[in-house]
Amino acid sequence: MLAVEALEVAYGDLQVVWGASFEVPERSIVAILGSNGAGKTTTLLALMGLLPSIGGSVTFKGESLIGVPTHVMVERGLVMIPEERPTFATMTVADNLAVGAHARRARALRDQSLREVLEIFPVLAERLGQPAGTLSGGERQMLGLAKALMARPDLLVLDEPSLGLAPIVVESIFDVIRSIRDRGVSVLMVEQHVEMTLDIADHAYVLELGRIVADGTSAELASDTRVRDAYLSP
Amino acid sequence: MSRLILQSAVSGLLVGGMYGLVALGLALAFGVLKVLNVAHGELLMLGGYAAFFAFTTWGLDPFVSLPLVFAALFALGVVLYQVLFRFVTRFDVETRIKNSLLLSFGLVLILQALAVRFFTADERTISTSYSSMGFTVGLVRIPLVRLAGLIVAVIAAVALEWLLRKSRFGHAVRATAEDWTRAALTGIDVGRVYLVAFAISAGLAAMAGSLIALGYSVSPSIGLGWTLKALIVVVLAGLGSMRGLVLAGLFLGLIESLAAVWVGGPYREVVALVVFILVLSLRPQGFFGRAHV
Repeated sequence: MLAVEALEVAYGDLQVVWGASFEVPERSIVAILGSNGAGKTTTLLALMGLLPSIGGSVTFKGESLIGVPTHVMVERGLVMIPEERPTFATMTVADNLAVGAHARRARALRDQSLREVLEIFPVLAERLGQPAGTLSGGERQMLGLAKALMARPDLLVLDEPSLGLAPIVVESIFDVIRSIRDRGVSVLMVEQHVEMTLDIADHAYVLELGRIVADGTSAELASDTRVRDAYLSP
Repeated sequence: MSRLILQSAVSGLLVGGMYGLVALGLALAFGVLKVLNVAHGELLMLGGYAAFFAFTTWGLDPFVSLPLVFAALFALGVVLYQVLFRFVTRFDVETRIKNSLLLSFGLVLILQALAVRFFTADERTISTSYSSMGFTVGLVRIPLVRLAGLIVAVIAAVALEWLLRKSRFGHAVRATAEDWTRAALTGIDVGRVYLVAFAISAGLAAMAGSLIALGYSVSPSIGLGWTLKALIVVVLAGLGSMRGLVLAGLFLGLIESLAAVWVGGPYREVVALVVFILVLSLRPQGFFGRAHV
């Protein structure tokens, strides 16, 4: 579905990502793990065309994404939920969901998508008239996911969906991510929460200082001693 | 004495409706593109001339030409965005504000000079058969064309508010205004939203210009004065509410004309600016704006 080859990203003179390669097969959850400052968010922003990449290739469903405007990527089925504030705080929950279906591919299916996402997130159905800014952190993350699903993605890119959330909320968010995969949508997620992420991911990469230093299935990484020492509590 | 106060209050409210209408366009461009277009008043001036010449050469009634004038300046807005302001929107918010100020100030000088060259520096007013009509309520006389101007301002605000709240395009505009990066990630063509919002802003300025040419007058140099009033109104109201802008416009018009009666004509602007500074320091988000979420 998605293949990233030798991606290089820099902010001006400061190179942050050095030749990162990874791929996301169909119907799978792929995680990029790493600590703060490893270049995880930078990689995603470059992937989505929000930061210029200085080298490498990105291919989605067989077509190159280099130079493609971000909104066109959404039109092609690649949807990213940004970190921290994934929703439009000044708009109501209903308007957030409506604007989520802005892409042409999603417009005709809007009512059907709305029914589906409210089924997945019943809590949002009670909050439709409320501004998104008044939701709790967990509800906002759910709205972010729901809004992204309204765009009918083929590949969902998540930037630290667990950030700032209580462990029990993270668990329910991760359950939803798994069910999204089971519906046939691929997921690429970036996380610091290594243990929980390896629970749901099919495949994972470890990013350190802008380089991929390890990769494998979740089971392989969970038993890898280096990964265990660096990221997992004993 | 009370008749004078009442009459001033009504005149103030009528001109305040124009302040609100001018502020609508300015706030739209600033809220969505983060572009501070100080040439907004010059677009208004061009709209006023367009209505004036449509009336004198083709005999088009200014209310008939209103949509045409809107369309003409909408088109000019498209050109100005593509040629100038598009390049400003590539930067972060702070740089956008600085660069758009420089750019649009240059535009002010150019448009004023062109207007003097082609339209002369004379003051022009559209005088229709109904221009001097009006009616008296109690002790107060209300000129018809100025009242019509206020009504158009209110209709424009309600229509714009409706567009932003209910339409698909409006949702895209609000999303872009809040955060253009997240808007792009939602599948919104941010460049197109900028283009259309800027063009609507120019069209709204032109509508105000038509009504001002009818109820007041136009000359090449009127622009900056109206831009300044609109800026004060935007600060008074805060961004985010179209009705709030019209209400703030009415409020500004009212305090200006009451200040002229109570404090003396030369002080009307001073009193308005004092209120402006008070609001800026005591309630920087404005009367109707939201504090940042």
